[in-house]
Amino acid sequence: MVQDVAEAAGARLTTQADSLIRAAQRGDQDAFEQLVRAYDQSVLRHAMNLLRSPEEARDVYQEVFLKVFRNLHTFRFDCSFHTWLYRIVTNVCLDHLRKRGVRKEEPAVVETGEGPLDRLENVEETSAHADPERNMWNRQLHERIEEGMRDLTPRERMVFELRHYEGLRLRNIGEILGTTEDAAKNCLFRATQKMRSALGDLV
Amino acid sequence: MTCESVLKSMPLYFYGELTPAEEDGMEEHLHRCRSCAREMERQRALGVMADRHRAEIPAGLLEDCRTDLMAAIQGGAGAAERGPGAWRLFLNAVSESLSGWSRFRQPAGALALLAVGFFAARVTTRPAGVAEAKLALAPSDQVFSTVRSVQPNPSGGVQISFDETRRRVVSGPMDDQNIRRLLLSAAREDNPAVRVESVDLLKNHSGTSDIRDALLNAVAHDPNPGVRLKAVEGLKPLAAEPDVRKVLAQVLLSDDNPAIRMQVVDLLVEHRDDAIVGVLQDLMQKENNNYVRLKSEKALKEMNASLGTF
Repeated sequence: MVQDVAEAAGARLTTQADSLIRAAQRGDQDAFEQLVRAYDQSVLRHAMNLLRSPEEARDVYQEVFLKVFRNLHTFRFDCSFHTWLYRIVTNVCLDHLRKRGVRKEEPAVVETGEGPLDRLENVEETSAHADPERNMWNRQLHERIEEGMRDLTPRERMVFELRHYEGLRLRNIGEILGTTEDAAKNCLFRATQKMRSALGDLV
Repeated sequence: MTCESVLKSMPLYFYGELTPAEEDGMEEHLHRCRSCAREMERQRALGVMADRHRAEIPAGLLEDCRTDLMAAIQGGAGAAERGPGAWRLFLNAVSESLSGWSRFRQPAGALALLAVGFFAARVTTRPAGVAEAKLALAPSDQVFSTVRSVQPNPSGGVQISFDETRRRVVSGPMDDQNIRRLLLSAAREDNPAVRVESVDLLKNHSGTSDIRDALLNAVAHDPNPGVRLKAVEGLKPLAAEPDVRKVLAQVLLSDDNPAIRMQVVDLLVEHRDDAIVGVLQDLMQKENNNYVRLKSEKALKEMNASLGTF
């Protein structure tokens, strides 16, 4: 029963998205804007997660949706729009990751609406504020995660991000990256292996 | 399952990518193997830590991105691979603005005239580079004519007077004077798509005074934010020059587009001087975009300046 309702809701959303896509393909700019708004938050979050820089995430956003705008007429509904969109997103993000170099240090401080934010501070739990030891342990743990992330190749990082943060199935990730499900599995294995070893004896 | 295969499948198990049978095998092994169970704990800890590592979207960034995107699309940046293309539009516009001929276009009339085998080149001045045979025998939609008069002549033939507008294609390197002149002219065309493309090309050659002036003019006066953004990019190498800074400071205080103000703050603070402090303090008095405020505030703090004027 629950599954039926979920499937019906999913089908309704797909139909809505399809009509927006068709209208945007006919040159309807309002439809295009609605389409962008339906997907852009997750695209921006994905870019922020991967690149950890608001400026670069902003560039990725612009590049991705201009490509969508220019190439939407080539979308033939032979895969889901999400898959088609994420092919563009992952290509643009991989380009950025490769340009900056796989092992480049990422800034620990990011800008937010409330001012610069140290991401290491951000991971501390509320209850940990009164506990300096736990605080330090959290910091160390987070630094190790950062190290592990930096050690990943752009492709490993992409698979990890898409699986962990976006919740996509590995089959879908393979489809997006133009590779097989097995290759995506191997990437995920290597990524988690590297990160688990970066955690060392902390956990 | 062996320890080796369990370790290999651990991330797949964690992310729910195993079949039910594989999951059963995995759980059975983890129940009896302390070492693998310990590794599984590490995998779970990694998952928790990765969750906390999730980046937040800074306030205002999504709205700024949407504004930039729509400005770029309305400015013609999105049209580069659609329809006739910006370069083609540009050539069209240049051809029209240089010819001074009639803008009336009647391709159907032109085709009809050419189809009956008229003369053509004998009564018109042929543009350089266009072959006579092509003009007479291979009409294309790039020739537009308006017939002004038709008169029989004494020898039994006919004399036709018509205006012709012809699209011309020019190409050359950016350091070619003519190309540059055409681009400078195109940067003032009515069509924003043409202006965006032209300013985009000019911005990489901001070293000469005419291009520099065109970029300054565009950043200060162009009604289209896409064009202004391109011009700001082009002024980056010149951001230390006093008169460029003066224009940029005016833009910062008057441009209604937050994306442009963001870019201008970046340019101005790259080369700090005393004047910029006052400009940023003025901006802080009136700025209503959080992201721009944040950037200006950060720059002022780095310069050890107060956030406001007293």
